[in-house]
Amino acid sequence: MMLKSHRNFHSVNGKRQILVVDDEAVNRELLGLMLSEDYDILYAEDGRQALELIRANAATLSLVLLDILMPELNGLELLTLLKQDPELAHLPVIVLTSEKSAEVRSLRLGASDFITKPYDLPEVIQARVRRTIELSEDTYIIQTTEHDELTGLYNKEYFYRYAEQFDRYHAAMAMDAVTLDINHFHLFNELYGRSFADEMLKTIADALRRALEGTGGIACRREADTFLLYAPHREEYDTMLAAILTALGEGGHRPRLRLGVYPCADKGIDIELRFDRAKLAGDTVRNNYARSIAYYDDSLHEKELYSEKLIAGMDQALRERQFQVYYQPKYDIRGERPVLRSAEALVRWNHPLFGRISPGRFIPLFEENGLIQKLDLYVWQEAARQVRRWREEYGTVIPVSVNVSRIDMHNPELLSIFRELMRSNQLSPGDYLLEITESAYAEDSERIIRTVEDLRALGFQVEMDDFGSGYSSLNMLSSLPIDALKLGIKFLQDLPSDPKSVRMLELMLDIARYLSVPVIAEGVEREDQLALLKRLGCDMIQGYYFSRPVPPEEFARFIEKEVSSC
Amino acid sequence: MLTMDTLCAFGADTEEGLGRCMNNEAFYLRLVGLAAKDGSYEALRAALDQGDLTAAFEAAHALKGVLGNLSLTALYTPVSELTELLRARREMDYAPLLSEILRRRDALLALCEEG
Repeated sequence: MMLKSHRNFHSVNGKRQILVVDDEAVNRELLGLMLSEDYDILYAEDGRQALELIRANAATLSLVLLDILMPELNGLELLTLLKQDPELAHLPVIVLTSEKSAEVRSLRLGASDFITKPYDLPEVIQARVRRTIELSEDTYIIQTTEHDELTGLYNKEYFYRYAEQFDRYHAAMAMDAVTLDINHFHLFNELYGRSFADEMLKTIADALRRALEGTGGIACRREADTFLLYAPHREEYDTMLAAILTALGEGGHRPRLRLGVYPCADKGIDIELRFDRAKLAGDTVRNNYARSIAYYDDSLHEKELYSEKLIAGMDQALRERQFQVYYQPKYDIRGERPVLRSAEALVRWNHPLFGRISPGRFIPLFEENGLIQKLDLYVWQEAARQVRRWREEYGTVIPVSVNVSRIDMHNPELLSIFRELMRSNQLSPGDYLLEITESAYAEDSERIIRTVEDLRALGFQVEMDDFGSGYSSLNMLSSLPIDALKLGIKFLQDLPSDPKSVRMLELMLDIARYLSVPVIAEGVEREDQLALLKRLGCDMIQGYYFSRPVPPEEFARFIEKEVSSC
Repeated sequence: MLTMDTLCAFGADTEEGLGRCMNNEAFYLRLVGLAAKDGSYEALRAALDQGDLTAAFEAAHALKGVLGNLSLTALYTPVSELTELLRARREMDYAPLLSEILRRRDALLALCEEG
């Protein structure tokens, strides 16, 4: 607020405006002469007159030159008044004095500089005036750019810089890196509108400011609903959280918050990484209704180190063929006898240190940082070669489906990669199926749809993976270019005992029929599930009931069985 | 008439004073005229008559600032001396120093009003 009032640095004719306050006409005129070429000058003969002029010109004044010994309100009294007034405190003041003691006192009171009497040469005075105004305006610009406009907290760039600066001067002080997030913030935006959400953010910012007052701690809004705090270590954060929640008020609109605390953060690591760790901890309680505060500790650290090792080891793993592609059969269950139709290629990692690692552990990691593209390509190549080998060996084609990650869909080379794979293995696009997860469609649907259409135009069949997990609208589904729906594992768990799940399954199959595409049920483990799926008209089955994913040598027996039964 | 030469003869570092006035002679001489008529001399006299050392100090201090800025050495020197004595609140007879100051001020006034 106070800064906004100072936005208009210039007076009407484009010169900055200065107020000269001195009870002696000679002194006023001298300064006026020295400065009037570059500035608009206002004059006051005493402190009271000066205060009136300052109030009347607060928006345009750039500087006050202030004599100390004056009748009425003296200079030091006026200076004190100015610095206590939030609307005027920003206004720089240069004190005019011949008293050494007054210099120190006035600087303590907030004067920017002083000019001694008798005055120095005009050039010196002009330079000091110019410098003081520049400094004040630069400070203003820094203050406005270093703060988040909505909340008035630091923005992240300045926050990180100030945190580092704080560390330099308080090397021995134990500091906590803390993140604060609003659970499901986007819902508040959607349900109650932007201004409601903004108010919420401002309230949180104010509460954080109060909580940090006098501690030396600083806070920023990193993005959207993520706040960062860097503050001297405290034993608990429940009090702070309670204070913020109280500030947010009671009622149904009150959000749930989550705090991630990296206590006594390691100053040897990058400041941003310290907050990544805090956030990592905080996100572990994202959907936890019992706990709102989580601490980064050894176990999380171990997990993080583990993740880092996996990421670091990926290239070597590709070179050394530590990744193995397994195949899980998909059976057509429409007829009397289940018929092997295709297989899904699934990757396994035999890590030299950690042994066999679950894909659920490393795939999300690689998805996060884009490494998944390399792994996908590896699997695509392996799968294409395998289809060719089986064809050479058994004279029959078992189409294999491969996963195409969301990030792959943005690769401009995607089509040519698949074309080349087909060419080099002498396969046709019909021998190769592509699985794209439903949530990928939801994210950037138009672009994804275009790519899928291009792939289908080449002859590839596209299966929508994890159908039912991506919250697609029916309307959107009907416009999607797909050749099959794959039903996710999760809601099939309780089949056929849970009537709700059965009803859900019926709905999904209705949707598939409406879209005129076959349905592949994944994760089928038991006979009763199979029977139900078959009865309800599901087309294909994949799951432990038939086989877990197996290495290609083992998969061969399914093909042999199929070939012999033909 | 007050000129740079008469002012110099009176006792002023005119080069320095003129420098502060961006070498504008007319401006400088006009300010010297203003300084000669400064009300603080009367305030100083009245305060000393009443033995009000605080008020006397304030008046002397104000004069000192003006005289220093105009480099009117002949007046600045005794006024500075008086200011420091008053700052220390010395119990003494200020009359001789005051009358010397006023004598010089009168001389300056006379220069200003001549011709």
